[in-house]
Amino acid sequence: MKALVIAEHADVARELAGGARELGADEVSLVCFGGAVEGASDKVLNVAVPAGALVDDAAYALVDAANAADVVLVEATRRGKVIAGRLAAKLGTAAAGATVELTAEGGRGTYFGGVAERVQKSAGDKQVYIVAAGVCDYSKAAGAGAAEDVAWVAPERAAKVTGNVERQKTAADPTKADVVVSAGRGFAAEEDLQKARDLAEKLGGAIACSRPLTEGVNWLPTELYVGVSGITVTPKLYIAAGISGQMQHMVGANRSATVIAVNKDKNAPIFKQCDFGIVGDLNEILPALTAAL
Amino acid sequence: MRIAVAFKAVPDAQDVQVAGDRTLDFSKAKLTISEYDKNALELGAQLADEAVAITVGGKDIDNSKLKKDVMARGMGHLYMAADDALADLDAAATAAALADVLAKAGDVDAVICGDGSADNYLQQVDVQLAEKLGWPVVTAACKVEVNGSTAVVTRALEDCTEVVEVELPAVISVTPDVAEPRIPGMKDILAAGKKPMDVAGADNAPAAALTTVECLAPEQVARKLEIVDAADDGAIEKLAAAVKAAL
Repeated sequence: MKALVIAEHADVARELAGGARELGADEVSLVCFGGAVEGASDKVLNVAVPAGALVDDAAYALVDAANAADVVLVEATRRGKVIAGRLAAKLGTAAAGATVELTAEGGRGTYFGGVAERVQKSAGDKQVYIVAAGVCDYSKAAGAGAAEDVAWVAPERAAKVTGNVERQKTAADPTKADVVVSAGRGFAAEEDLQKARDLAEKLGGAIACSRPLTEGVNWLPTELYVGVSGITVTPKLYIAAGISGQMQHMVGANRSATVIAVNKDKNAPIFKQCDFGIVGDLNEILPALTAAL
Repeated sequence: MRIAVAFKAVPDAQDVQVAGDRTLDFSKAKLTISEYDKNALELGAQLADEAVAITVGGKDIDNSKLKKDVMARGMGHLYMAADDALADLDAAATAAALADVLAKAGDVDAVICGDGSADNYLQQVDVQLAEKLGWPVVTAACKVEVNGSTAVVTRALEDCTEVVEVELPAVISVTPDVAEPRIPGMKDILAAGKKPMDVAGADNAPAAALTTVECLAPEQVARKLEIVDAADDGAIEKLAAAVKAAL
């Protein structure tokens, strides 16, 4: 069985290459748009994206490689999803989501924001999966990594990139942290967030938030938003401060080993989904906890 | 400029119930416009001289309340394929059925899609539709400006913000912050009922590209549920102990 792995981040590329081996791939080809990935696959395909071209359009250069593969694993990024969709269309199928788990049975993804989990696979011979970071185990990734250049294929009507601003990653990445302090609507003022930051710093963790703090008030960047359309975190400890515990948020946090909740509303649904909960004012509790640790 | 906005009718997730065997029960859930498609409808209404709404789904989407809700959001015409052969389609099949509907809607300069549907949220129909039409697709648009036959789109990506120029026609899918959806008033809803709506059956029954192996509510994670009040003696100490125990 042959696999094609496409990723934007080197660490996720390695995970997907490991995932491909777990599916039983004996030949793994890998494309990564975010740095070299060595010793993780049999082949490394080098696709040079021309200046002004969209990374998304790399799909057209990879059609032959996808045709030669039995399974295509694509990192679940916005660009990756375009590449996955185009390759799936070329292969006469649709990409299935593997945002929770990937096995030979199919890709397990959330359905209705996590009300259910659904396992799907292609009805045909060719599988295309959109795989989230953290789903596959990188440790199975191996291979000589023979380099192969792949020629760029421009679509007939290509969109052009005219500007690009790197996002300032000010905060630690909550998807990689052991402790996540997550802030919700219970924070009444932006400056109160410092109390969450102080606690996260004390614990060597990262801060994150629920949707109301990014959309609308813009207190925190979108990439820190935990929930159905945001990120999924799996830390040892998730501290939900001022978060009510709606399902749309908890879907992104409920695989944390321990959940601690701070909320002034004793009837908040979060108190039915936590290991330890404390009812009270987060503006008092968070600094007191930081001091007590 | 004429724009088609693709939207999906979904059961309201608030009313979806989980049965004892962990399957989902949709019997009490009313159909509604998928949440993020409202932002797409709003942008379409703001940008277009004439905005039309397109959708496909099972026979039940031919629902007067739902149709009025869509039309009250600044749409001039609705083109809908409602047929049980079109219920619960995957992205490839949805795109094929939408392309059939779009053919009836006439020429448009752009198709606008929402960020992702409330049920699947795989962000694939926009891409598959663009492939069917042979058009470029630009996703994750948080800002869209149209200059003549070119759209200038700002994309909110994971690591960067990217500005892209795309010649129309194109498929553009938008993030929720692209436009705040309007709340239709009673007058809008009454007027909506008089707008032209073309509802038809399926031209073709698209083949399923995906097989569903399983669809169940996840097993509840057992939590310890130890709750204290901050006013209780030793509450902060217990909290600190719980934090330390977790690490």
